[in-house]
Amino acid sequence: MTMMTGQQYRESLRRLKPEVYYLGEKIESVADHPAFLPHVNAAALTYDMALAPEFEELLTATSHLTGEKINRFTHIHHSHDDLVKKVKMLRALGQQTGSCFQRCVGFDGLNSVYSITYDIDQKLGTDYHKRLVNLLKQVQSKDLMVSGAMTDVKGNRRLSPSQQKDPDLYVHMVEKKKDGIVVRGAKAHITGAVNSHGHLVMPTSAMKAEDADYAVCFYVPVDAPGVVHIFGRQTNDTRKCECFLDQGNVDYGIVGGEALIVFDDVFVPWENVFMCGEYEFAYELVERFATAHRQNYGGCKTGLADAMIGATYALAQVQGTDRASHTRDKLVEMVHLTETLYCCSIACSCQGYALPAGSYMADPLLANVTKLNVTREVYEIARLAQDIAGGILATAPSEMDWKDERVGKYVDKYMKGVAEVPTETRLRLLRLLEGMTCGTALVESMHGAGSPQAQRIMIERQANFERKKRLAEKLAKIGEQPLLVC
Amino acid sequence: MSKNRRKVKVALKYCGSCNPRVDLSRIARHLAKVAEERGDFQLVPLSENDIDVVVILCGCPRACGNKGEVRARAKRSLLTAGESVNRRAVPEIQLPLAVEQELDKILNG
Repeated sequence: MTMMTGQQYRESLRRLKPEVYYLGEKIESVADHPAFLPHVNAAALTYDMALAPEFEELLTATSHLTGEKINRFTHIHHSHDDLVKKVKMLRALGQQTGSCFQRCVGFDGLNSVYSITYDIDQKLGTDYHKRLVNLLKQVQSKDLMVSGAMTDVKGNRRLSPSQQKDPDLYVHMVEKKKDGIVVRGAKAHITGAVNSHGHLVMPTSAMKAEDADYAVCFYVPVDAPGVVHIFGRQTNDTRKCECFLDQGNVDYGIVGGEALIVFDDVFVPWENVFMCGEYEFAYELVERFATAHRQNYGGCKTGLADAMIGATYALAQVQGTDRASHTRDKLVEMVHLTETLYCCSIACSCQGYALPAGSYMADPLLANVTKLNVTREVYEIARLAQDIAGGILATAPSEMDWKDERVGKYVDKYMKGVAEVPTETRLRLLRLLEGMTCGTALVESMHGAGSPQAQRIMIERQANFERKKRLAEKLAKIGEQPLLVC
Repeated sequence: MSKNRRKVKVALKYCGSCNPRVDLSRIARHLAKVAEERGDFQLVPLSENDIDVVVILCGCPRACGNKGEVRARAKRSLLTAGESVNRRAVPEIQLPLAVEQELDKILNG
């Protein structure tokens, strides 16, 4: 089997038995529970769109390992074209889902671990890269969805992993056996965790020698014994179970369906271990993953912004404000911001480069700039959408009242905008925008792929202030004057 | 070195230097000095025929100068891209010497 359909992906989830908890209940089938359906649907679209001729060019690639046609989410980038197509694919998917489709995290994890295992092996003579390649072959041939699990719960942020009072606040190895390792700890905010086939677990920060047990990278199936998922709450999440229209984005929800993953003494066979104590490579892995993931945000978020702009424009028409000059000006500003973010993602892809493993990564400085811009501009796009939508975005009556025998006629009459458009259309657009601009969805733009300060740290590291100083000194005739051409 | 022995032709090709992270001309100046001291190779323009080695000098890892048509101008090539030589990490301060050593490996091997 090569590429799955969305339906085959759903069926594959039904065959798994992950331990998942939500609102105090143990979940029997992730693929069939209303709380998870939007996230399953969004991920399923990454399968269906790969098989649709109009998206095939972006959503498929040729495996460098087998020569087979594969879903791009399982591909290792081997050119600038691959990096650019990744961004374009994410925008296309963002437009179609209006939400997070989750699969990029594991995609970025596989690419990062692919290159770093090569580097570790080159320096230390280990065989991690071969193991990763074997996993990758399985991921590609079975078209698996892999979550990328990096962020530890961290406890006291002033302390390093080994200094924490509770040693389990960062995922670590607790036992080394002949046939594998035993790991304990937890990873937070893991996108698509409950509806993935497995987790690629990576260290979350730079490590020192005393943190060596925390420098672990491994893969576990989602239903491996001891792996426990606790699904996070989202703004208005009970609407998934109690209504339809009020959900806004009924099919795909508002975020990626994040969960806390607990590793309660989980056994990992050596074949699925890709770092075990090589602490000096932990930071480089984090930086490569962060770069790959931050590259994405001017792709997926601009796809979402396209839908947000469309909803705002349509709502302005429904409410009779579309011809006002300030409305049009704000819509133009939303487009300007959106395309600026897209430029950032395209640019960091075009400026990407080859690593010793032969795979490609985006330019780290520009990728971090991309993500830092997203932490600001997506909020501004959402603010403008809320400005145009009006206060009704936060005060509209419920779907149940609109359908109510006694008051439904009042809701329908008084919630109407222009005479030619049904009230239902206005309510649907309002709910879509509510989901996209209020609450959980926006926080994802701030903290997904790392908080703004993490981007600032990487930007400072890449800034090369000394060279800029030399440029200024040359212009100001300070010190030695370098020749332009030697 | 025999007077009749042909000097190895080494050409330099810059990426274009849009926003270099390292001082490429420092590497070039060092190679020019080494060529003069050693006398077994000479720096020639890339347009010349029968080039033995092309040293591709790129200001960042994007390595815009590393093109097939550039590499095809010589029998061998050597790539420096930002703080790396032939994709091996090298701090900026050590770049000139590292390039010289890589070139030496080519010339002697």
